[in-house]
Amino acid sequence: MNTRNSASAVTIFRILAGLFSIGCFIALWHFGTNGTALGKLLPGPSVVLGKFVASFTTKIGKYTILGHAMWSLSRVMVAYTAAAVIGIGLGLAMGWYRTAEAIFRPFYEMIRPIPPIAWIPIAIIWFGLGESAKYFLIFLSAFASITLNSFDGARSVDRVLVGAAKMLGANDRQLFTSIVLPASTPYIFAGLQVALSTSWATVLAAEMVRSSEGVGWVIVSGMEMNNTTQILVGIIAIGLIGFMLATIMREVEAKLLAWNRQGT
Amino acid sequence: MNSNESFFIIDCEGLTKTFETPNGEFEVVADFSLKARSNEFVVLFGPGQCGKTTLLNMMSGLETASTGSVVVNGKAVSGPGPERGVVFQSIALFPWLTVMGNVEYGLKMRGVGKQERRGRAQRYIELVGLQGFEDAFPVKLSGGMKQRVGIARAYCNEPAVLFMDEPFGALDAQTRYLMQEELQRIMSVEKRTTVFVTNNIEEALYLADRIVVLANCPTRIKAEYVIDLPRPRDYVDSRFLALRQEISGMLDRAL
Repeated sequence: MNTRNSASAVTIFRILAGLFSIGCFIALWHFGTNGTALGKLLPGPSVVLGKFVASFTTKIGKYTILGHAMWSLSRVMVAYTAAAVIGIGLGLAMGWYRTAEAIFRPFYEMIRPIPPIAWIPIAIIWFGLGESAKYFLIFLSAFASITLNSFDGARSVDRVLVGAAKMLGANDRQLFTSIVLPASTPYIFAGLQVALSTSWATVLAAEMVRSSEGVGWVIVSGMEMNNTTQILVGIIAIGLIGFMLATIMREVEAKLLAWNRQGT
Repeated sequence: MNSNESFFIIDCEGLTKTFETPNGEFEVVADFSLKARSNEFVVLFGPGQCGKTTLLNMMSGLETASTGSVVVNGKAVSGPGPERGVVFQSIALFPWLTVMGNVEYGLKMRGVGKQERRGRAQRYIELVGLQGFEDAFPVKLSGGMKQRVGIARAYCNEPAVLFMDEPFGALDAQTRYLMQEELQRIMSVEKRTTVFVTNNIEEALYLADRIVVLANCPTRIKAEYVIDLPRPRDYVDSRFLALRQEISGMLDRAL
């Protein structure tokens, strides 16, 4: 009972400390922008937060902030899902089957070190200004880390477990689906997590280069109209969505990888 | 199954294993032959790190022999297969599967329907005393409980022979005694032909119908003892202690 009390006291302290630091930041922002020259460059927190809340009902350009967020998210989800399916398949195959590694690895190693943003010009030339160019860029940015981590996962499967499965009668296909795949899931999830944040960064970059909707567009159009408040509204939306995506991912991981966790 | 008196369920002949190293060939196992009858519990007892696991792996099919042959249940062993079960020193449970998932794994791979394999797995989970833990993941179990799952998993596949590679080697002394008694109990309920590797003389004497004493580097047979003490055995019985003395002495000379 005592330990539980002190544990919840620690939790309460942590929450209070977090609120305190956020409060200090907002106070600093508030007093820094009210009554100083900085106020001409940067709107105060009340203005930005007010505008952010208003943007749920008032349109910025063609959509409300939610509409823009949905555009960005759907772009990420389409390309990210494709990258996950292909990346996990390719990575595990390369890690487990020597032939697959010999064929695909050189090509993959050639593509891997190129940052996704470097593909923007060629994506525009190849796919024009539509959705395909954005899918292509997000796919590339997510694909690399998912493939690499899946590859590492398949490589590091405990050979004793493989032997145990064979002794219990697993054939080659069963070995891949019932041992290699689940044994690699902690690695795969590490890759999926990194890929999710790089895809989120890439969709914003792609929207800032060329688009007429999406959170990236909100920021760029704010810049073009010299509307700092709109830029900050976009940035808050980006931060919140990024935080939500990471949280969802962590929860899914905690559910799926319960077997991998020590303690209760 | 085979009423023929001369039938040996395990028949190894002239097994050797040689590894190529930068300094030339290194012989790990030299000319090992073993015949075991159905339901016999054979303990391979020997010191050191050299060759016992390799020897057992050659019999189970996990490793190939450099020369020699292994015949189990009338069939030549040429690779891993479900007619031989293995209990590993590292236990080697599948951590992403529950206790039930681990125990039924072999049956599932071999296409046994869900209802039947659940029933059979449940029986072996109960045999090793783990009822109530069917849905627990291995990470939540103690070392002794994990190895109970390992034993149930090997048993559930109903192999013709079981190979146990120092299965209690990673457990603390107290748990080790307990698990020896548990294995003795399990064997008294459902006897299987077993080849059991250990470097612990008490464990060997407690469990064995026959002890094969191995010499080290390369691993080869030094002596054999048929142990016909009544079961369950008493660790401090005078005949137990005498045999312990004798075989330990044997071992010292072999080193």
